[in-house]
Amino acid sequence: MADGFKTRKKALSRHGHWIERWKEGWAIYKKNLLGRIGLALLSIFTLMALASFIPPLIDPMYGPMSGVDPAITASTGPSARHWLGTDFMGRDLFSQLLAGARVAFTVGITSAFVSIVLGTLIGMVAGYLGGWTDVFLMRAADLIMVMPTLLVVLILAALFGQLNIWSIILIIALFRWPGVSRVIRAQTLTLKERPFIDAARVAGASHVRIIFRHIMPNVLPLSFLYMTFRVTAAINIEAALAFLGFGDPGTVSWGMMLQWVWKTGHMFKAPYWLLPPGICISLITLAFYLLGRAMDEVLDPRLRKEGERY
Amino acid sequence: MELWRYLWRRFIQIGITFFVILTILFVLFRIAPGDPVTRMIGPEMTTEDAVRLISQLGLDRPLWIQYLYYVRNFFTGNFGYSFHYGQPVIEIIWDRLPNTVLLFTSSVILSAVVGVFLGKIAAWRKGKRSDTLMTLGALVTHTVFLPWMALILIWIFAYRFGWFPINGMISEEIWLDPSAGLWIKALDVFHHMVLPLLTLFLIYFGSYLLIMRSAMLETLKEDYILTARAKGLKEKVIRNHHAAPNAALPVVTSVGLSLAFSINGGALTETVFSWPGIGRELVFSVSNNDYPLAQAAFLLISAVVLVSNLVVDLLYAYLDPRIRY
Amino acid sequence: MGLLAVEGLSIGYHTEKGLLHAVEDVSFTVKRGRSLGLVGESGCGKTTLGLAILRLLPENGTILKGRILFDGADLLEKSDEAMRRIRWKEISMIFQAAMNALNPVHRVKDQIAEAILTHEPETPRETVRSRVEALFDQVGIPRSRMGDFPHQYSGGMKQRAVIAMALALRPRLIIADEPTTALDVIVQDQILRQTRRIQEAFDISMIVISHDIAVVAEVCHDIGVLYAGQLVEYGDRESVLQSPMHPYSRMLLGAFLTVGGKPPRVPDNGNDSPDLMDPAPGCRFHDRCPMAEDPCRQTPVASVTVGRTHRVLCRRVA
Repeated sequence: MADGFKTRKKALSRHGHWIERWKEGWAIYKKNLLGRIGLALLSIFTLMALASFIPPLIDPMYGPMSGVDPAITASTGPSARHWLGTDFMGRDLFSQLLAGARVAFTVGITSAFVSIVLGTLIGMVAGYLGGWTDVFLMRAADLIMVMPTLLVVLILAALFGQLNIWSIILIIALFRWPGVSRVIRAQTLTLKERPFIDAARVAGASHVRIIFRHIMPNVLPLSFLYMTFRVTAAINIEAALAFLGFGDPGTVSWGMMLQWVWKTGHMFKAPYWLLPPGICISLITLAFYLLGRAMDEVLDPRLRKEGERY
Repeated sequence: MELWRYLWRRFIQIGITFFVILTILFVLFRIAPGDPVTRMIGPEMTTEDAVRLISQLGLDRPLWIQYLYYVRNFFTGNFGYSFHYGQPVIEIIWDRLPNTVLLFTSSVILSAVVGVFLGKIAAWRKGKRSDTLMTLGALVTHTVFLPWMALILIWIFAYRFGWFPINGMISEEIWLDPSAGLWIKALDVFHHMVLPLLTLFLIYFGSYLLIMRSAMLETLKEDYILTARAKGLKEKVIRNHHAAPNAALPVVTSVGLSLAFSINGGALTETVFSWPGIGRELVFSVSNNDYPLAQAAFLLISAVVLVSNLVVDLLYAYLDPRIRY
Repeated sequence: MGLLAVEGLSIGYHTEKGLLHAVEDVSFTVKRGRSLGLVGESGCGKTTLGLAILRLLPENGTILKGRILFDGADLLEKSDEAMRRIRWKEISMIFQAAMNALNPVHRVKDQIAEAILTHEPETPRETVRSRVEALFDQVGIPRSRMGDFPHQYSGGMKQRAVIAMALALRPRLIIADEPTTALDVIVQDQILRQTRRIQEAFDISMIVISHDIAVVAEVCHDIGVLYAGQLVEYGDRESVLQSPMHPYSRMLLGAFLTVGGKPPRVPDNGNDSPDLMDPAPGCRFHDRCPMAEDPCRQTPVASVTVGRTHRVLCRRVA
């Protein structure tokens, strides 16, 4: 009986307007405390990223990269002038931290977006066309999956010299699509069996049209979900790269702040410098992760706390 | 037999994968800006040595012959000379490989075993406070930035409390002391290994815990669990003998998929702790433009990941009779 | 006399939308060595009833009222440990094998031996072995297949293995939940006959739960018809099959007696299943019933005794 209920409700939401779907999804999301915490954390980081433009306007010495407090020659602790203190060159740590939020969002979201677009396209094509295309694409996915992304970027840095932030973003994206494409492929395979795809084919729709008009709208929520997990991966890889000293020297990322504190031997002396960037990387990762898990619950009815059985 | 067919197929697949990686690396080394010869010949080499090495690596021959040389050299362990150490690359790699394997395998096994065990308990106590605590703990430790975790652990346990060495793998004075027995040496290595291992463990056990927990919750809805209950089995037997072996299967798969991810962490950990492994060597060689070493280190790390994948497949086949028979 | 007596049993499920009344005020008895068939469409609460007798309802299921007397003692008042000892030893269950009732990672013989060893731990290994062999013989699986894993069996063999397991401890009552669904007709027939033979040979009482009245008609002494959680008709086989009184039973039987037995043609007025969240106090069949009148919906119905062993839950019959 409850089965009947559920299928009817599902059918309703499938045909319903997308606003309805969003409302329904939000109603489920709202119940998830961890999901709400994730959203709250993300809003804080968004505010930080937006606020990162302010300090350099107040005084050029607050420029995160080039601004140096002329009165300071060594790393100093928190003060009214420098809320989190300064690094060894007298640069303001707080403005660096704000700028880091901006970099993290840029890296995370752009890279995740590109890898999701790639993964979704490849997954849909592999699943829809099948045959050798499918075999080839999925073997390629397997291959990339066993390659450690961070080390791949390192080797590329060795060969092609210093990488700027955009090439780092692009490389991460190129090596992070396989996971998504597998999921999308599986989803496409089940969609392919549905009558409405057959109907479209009989009506003479082209492959391209079927993929983009009929399959894509149904896999997009899933892609969106995987994007949150890709964001965390991208942010972490960029941070690790910067930490190892291969980041873009023109940007201040949290990973780079950690590299400075580590390489200049301040890690035992300057907790005000060591703690904030690490906490930020970890929390933004946690935030996206929580967001993803809560969304997963919205999209996957199996995870909901019902468990009726007859 | 089914099992052999499965393993043989995986073996071939992994072999092909390695070959493709080998080839990609070759191509990258040729298309990168700059001269491929100077990339393999160290700046401080005598002309004589350089000429010998050029002919050994086939760098004076056409591209496809270079490729054949390259493949042959890989399997004979001829990777050229490290610019930085002025030593054959193979010697360095051979020296570092066991250290990486030691840290990598013990961290993967430790985090998987503990993660699976705790995930099982958490699922069993779903909704209770201990479950919430474990799930939250896993979520938080799992998302901490690894190098930062390493730095914090060093700061607390090595610097503040002085319980463990700050970095390295051995204490020279013990290893130079002729009277020190094997046990003392092993203990010394273990003493150095605690913090790197703890770092990797703290980062990775959480994901296994979360996967095991949800796999276990799924399994508990299966009909054979209901059968087990109806049979009047004790709860503990149901949990350990009927649910856990089935729930562990997806975890094993995910261990396989995350090996590449774990080796990233391994390289970071080695670097922070100055653990003399291949990962750290790779990071160093990239900073020093030591191309021969970087190339070999990358290939060997890929090989480690692939071989561990095969081990995971073996474990899966052992655990799932549907593959064995 | 009754081995099992269910008295006024009501069962609910807690769901996100509230309490779902899955079973409402159901009473029946199962006599020694006799079998009772429970029929009804999916979601009518028949499986819930079976699970409730073994106290195996899912976490969100609760018994709201009623008693389940087994051998005179109320199972609902037993401690968890006492209940665990009764399971399989006294009351066992035949699950639908197509539903994965066997654990894929253990050998079939071990799964059967486990049942024996759990309840009779002192049994020597050789005895357990020979008992398992005897069970395989009884249900007709070759002994050479004892060491196989479930996935190596065909559907019919799995079902036989599940039956062998249910017989392992010679329980006094077996609850068979859809024992032959998803098997092809010939296998289905073999298994039904086997079940009946074993039941008679060992004087075991049985409850057979099925959506298929043909199955129940073939195996059972007594028949109960469930609709939306209510036991709408209950009586011995002959009376129910020959003179069904409840409109719903008539529809079910109508479908059964027509050759080519299509599923029951019940008038569909859009409400395919009644709302169990907040059911009307009256008859739950009223909005599909051809004989319904206004009071059917609002007035609680009481069961009417129409024969010595025949009861119907319908105010129109009265």
